[in-house]
Amino acid sequence: MFRKILIANRGEIALRILSACRELGIRTVAVYSEADRNSLHVRFADEAICIGPPRSTESYLNIPQVISAAEIANVDAIHPGYGFLSENANFAEVCEASHITFIGPTPEVIRLMGEKDKAKEAMAAAGLPIIPGSAGAIPDEEAAKKIARDIGYPVMIKAAEGGGGRGMRVVRHARELIPAFRTARSEAEQAFGSPNVYMEKLIERPRHIEFQVLGDKHGNVVHLGERECSLQRRHQKVLEESPSVVMDAATRQNLGKQVVDALAKIGYSSAGTVEFLREASGKLYFIEMNARIQVEHPVTEMVTSVDLVKSQIRVAAGEKLTDVLPAAVEFRGHAIECRINAEDPDTFTPSAGRVTAFRVPGGPGIRVDTACYSDAVIPPYYDSLIAKIIAHGQDRAEAIARMQRGLDGFVVEGVKTTIPLHKKILANPEFVAGKFDTHFLERMAAAETK
Amino acid sequence: MAKKQKPESSAGKRTGDVDLPEVERLLAFMEKHGLEEFEYARGDFHVRLRKPFSQPHSFSRAVSAPPDIVVAGAGPVAHAEAGHASAAAAPGARGAASAEAGHSEDVHTVKSPIVGTFYSAATPGSEPFVTVGSKVDAGQTLCIIEAMKLMNEIESDVAGEVARVFVENGQPVEYGEPLFGIRTHRKK
Repeated sequence: MFRKILIANRGEIALRILSACRELGIRTVAVYSEADRNSLHVRFADEAICIGPPRSTESYLNIPQVISAAEIANVDAIHPGYGFLSENANFAEVCEASHITFIGPTPEVIRLMGEKDKAKEAMAAAGLPIIPGSAGAIPDEEAAKKIARDIGYPVMIKAAEGGGGRGMRVVRHARELIPAFRTARSEAEQAFGSPNVYMEKLIERPRHIEFQVLGDKHGNVVHLGERECSLQRRHQKVLEESPSVVMDAATRQNLGKQVVDALAKIGYSSAGTVEFLREASGKLYFIEMNARIQVEHPVTEMVTSVDLVKSQIRVAAGEKLTDVLPAAVEFRGHAIECRINAEDPDTFTPSAGRVTAFRVPGGPGIRVDTACYSDAVIPPYYDSLIAKIIAHGQDRAEAIARMQRGLDGFVVEGVKTTIPLHKKILANPEFVAGKFDTHFLERMAAAETK
Repeated sequence: MAKKQKPESSAGKRTGDVDLPEVERLLAFMEKHGLEEFEYARGDFHVRLRKPFSQPHSFSRAVSAPPDIVVAGAGPVAHAEAGHASAAAAPGARGAASAEAGHSEDVHTVKSPIVGTFYSAATPGSEPFVTVGSKVDAGQTLCIIEAMKLMNEIESDVAGEVARVFVENGQPVEYGEPLFGIRTHRKK
């Protein structure tokens, strides 16, 4: 087992990793930017090293500084948390070259998963279903017609180089295809300097469902069930839960097995998440893999009683999954996580500043992961997540009731937070009925402004 | 220094009899009018508020605690950050005068620009680049900091005389850690 770990992160995840290390009897080294001098991960770590100015490119993302800190503190391993350097294959390689264990998958696997097209190809080859579409740019109008016929309408045309809606067209009927193809190409040309577009099957009313996985360095992989993360705003998850109300036992078992087999094939050896889009018909398609611990991991921890971060550290140290996990992982009850961001709950503009009062709820089935405290300053340099509240109940109804009770008792003053947004979501009849998709929050906001 | 540096508890903030709602009101006023710095006195209430980074102010341990709000009759003016960032100094502020308590104003602190191991000499056993009393020019090498197997020469950014060496040979240093105090030529 490791003797000493450097935590290359900040905020609640740095504290979460710190807790895991403490329980495992591992010493901790915090690194921090000048903006985080008074933060809790610095306070609670055994050692702390300032690695640079507030801008993350000069501190938390600065590989030479982080590695130097690891060297002077003489650590055995680095835990990257999520974000920052967690999916940086180059960083994982530098760790390896410096004889420091990177707590995550191998650099090769990180690199593969980081290139979305290659990841899809590899996962398709390993047996996972992917969204049908053109392989690369569509050469001409005849090809466009043929591809659309093959994958079936409705389809989506997207700019190969772009994003953000430009060069993007939904086509529902064959007669709309050619005009849409032409406009998409000229938009793409103007916006991104390349007229190349590709085509994909349009997933209507999609739900975002992901599998938590854990692999070891001996070729073993397990999954720990799914999480539903359909409540998103601008592709940022807002609320997550497990299990998903639309996942039946047979699908979970079959798809779970496919996921495990695919990851064993590519040699996945850490905690990770395999993300799917589920179309209204119930079919699921692989979209991407996050090769790291995720923000929403506590949801799975609550229903499985497995400590994912401790498990991740233990497998990184070479332990086998069979020693780390119970013989049969049991799924109990239902868990929901609400991300509390320092943001205006209506406009979502970040709200940095000093927290003047901070009171965290407790009681049965409530867990709060946070690095915030009364009088803390939320710096404007990093992401706006200040706390995660997780509610666990015997069933979804109890989890919702506990979450509502928890949010009512959660006091944050001095900065605006998304607590009011979560209260609205939990009171929404469609949410309570489990009838939602990734556009739910847009619709809820639109309904309010009417 | 790579050792544990406990931040002062928030209770260490000297708020005294500060009228917090009043300070809040003034901060809102500054926000509204886009003010960078603001001094205000009424009766025995005297406060100076400055937004972070509005001017380079030096970073050092002695002032690394949460921003102070000190209010006194004729005492020190209050410093309060305008609520949108921490007390951290602006990047590149290491050229500014040291605010460390107990140092005269003409002693300039050279701080470590990187995390690494401090070496006072080019090779083990050789003479140190500088010692207390050495005269240095701007641009002169003061020491080496080893980071990731690379030897980085740290130069003085001022001319003067070495007044203090804050670290020992072979000691690990963190970003922003004071290395040398250089007494600049006194202007009379």
